[in-house]
Amino acid sequence: MSSGPLISVGRYGLFVGAAIRACLAGRWAFREMLEHASTVALRCFLPVTITALPFGAVIGFQGMAILDLFSAHRLISSLLSVFVIRELAPVIAAVLVAAQAGSSFAAELGAMRIKEELDATSVMSVDPIGWHVVPRIGAMAIVIPALTILAGAFGVFGGWLVVVGLEGQPHGVFMAHLAQDLTTFDLGASAFKGLVYGVLIGTIACWKGFNATGGAEGVGRAVNDTVVLSVMFVLVSNYLLSSLLFSGVFR
Amino acid sequence: MITAFVRSVGRYGLFCWDCGVSAWRHGVRWDRVMGEASKLGVRSFGVLAVMALFVGTNLAIQGHAAFSALGAQSLVGMFVALAGVREVCPLLAGTMVAAKAGTEMTAQLAVMRTKEQIDALEVMAIDPRAELVVPPLLGIMIALPALTIISIAIALGSSVAVAVWQLGLEYGDYVDWLVSNITVFDLTAAMIKALVFAVVIATVSGWFGFFSERGPIGVGSATNKAVVVMCIVCITLNFFLTTVLYG
Repeated sequence: MSSGPLISVGRYGLFVGAAIRACLAGRWAFREMLEHASTVALRCFLPVTITALPFGAVIGFQGMAILDLFSAHRLISSLLSVFVIRELAPVIAAVLVAAQAGSSFAAELGAMRIKEELDATSVMSVDPIGWHVVPRIGAMAIVIPALTILAGAFGVFGGWLVVVGLEGQPHGVFMAHLAQDLTTFDLGASAFKGLVYGVLIGTIACWKGFNATGGAEGVGRAVNDTVVLSVMFVLVSNYLLSSLLFSGVFR
Repeated sequence: MITAFVRSVGRYGLFCWDCGVSAWRHGVRWDRVMGEASKLGVRSFGVLAVMALFVGTNLAIQGHAAFSALGAQSLVGMFVALAGVREVCPLLAGTMVAAKAGTEMTAQLAVMRTKEQIDALEVMAIDPRAELVVPPLLGIMIALPALTIISIAIALGSSVAVAVWQLGLEYGDYVDWLVSNITVFDLTAAMIKALVFAVVIATVSGWFGFFSERGPIGVGSATNKAVVVMCIVCITLNFFLTTVLYG
């Protein structure tokens, strides 16, 4: 079977098309989606929060060093909140969910494919895409925006720990400048980025797992490809989304 | 849960110790180390180049958004230099190699465990750690600092392109702020970070693969756990390394 990059893109497109068709026709399991969403949220909560915290702390730390040169320490919290909420929180949430839940989706579906469970489902005339794939994609699309907001909060808190806790800036000064450059639009845009990444990671993970071949190695390869492709496309689309959302087209 | 966590940290430590001991006892096969390093470097280069390209553009855009509000556009170059060289590029190269080479190593070892090839090596009195874990470990330690420097170059280059063509900043001004804020110490610190990340990536992925459960589900879950743990440990260590190196 030939598999150049263009052919893979085509196959991915067909797979996403099949998922959309199943979704529109109503042949998919809503309860299944809620269950996947709650497992993903529970399993990714800790990784997302404990990585967002040191990230915010590092920005607080290095940002103080930059602003030190201009004795403009009071601006640190607005710099921190803009950078964390617009840029870092969606990417951290997406990368961690891709690593934790995306790879486990690929592993689950890959193991089902290897053990011919997916074939068994379709033999019983239950559409495996509507039953196994669409709920997983939907779960990602629900959970990543929520975790994005959470990561934003923890990132800012990590920055607060360094700026107020270690460097001794008064709490009032920090809070006064926190929302200075931030609007509701930024929060919405941040959650929207999370939604796009959710759909992206969900479809990539399910596609790779659904089409795994070649025994245990195949499952390992599917998991590996899922993580690499998801992280890569998250960063690429992050550039496009940032240019689109924050360059003044929508405000 | 806490005892289980402490126990696995202890097992991980013992695994690292065993790897060191077997490297000491059986010697290091440098031809295999260099082979792993070049394979890793070549395979990860493409993905890393694409990522570094877009990270550089993003840093420029967000720096511009943050600093143009203050009317201090020239600070964008400084922001990109400090954030890119000190923090983002080492972490980017680390997580990328973790996602690509680390998971590959875990999956490979887990498959060998499943097929009882590791047990076969032990039966033949060949130390599986010296054979399977030590060469990739040293290979990653060679390749990752190099990849970090390459990603820094690409990210800074793409940030210049975006700053000049998309954001309309002055070329000479931007490059001046960019270059004058990068010191030799910054680059050395980035490489030290990369070395630490390399040790973490190789030992964690080796550990999860080496002691994975058998069967396709075991392979999948070992890979899954390895990549999550590598990401978390690298990001957390990055904070401590920053505090130690720049504190």
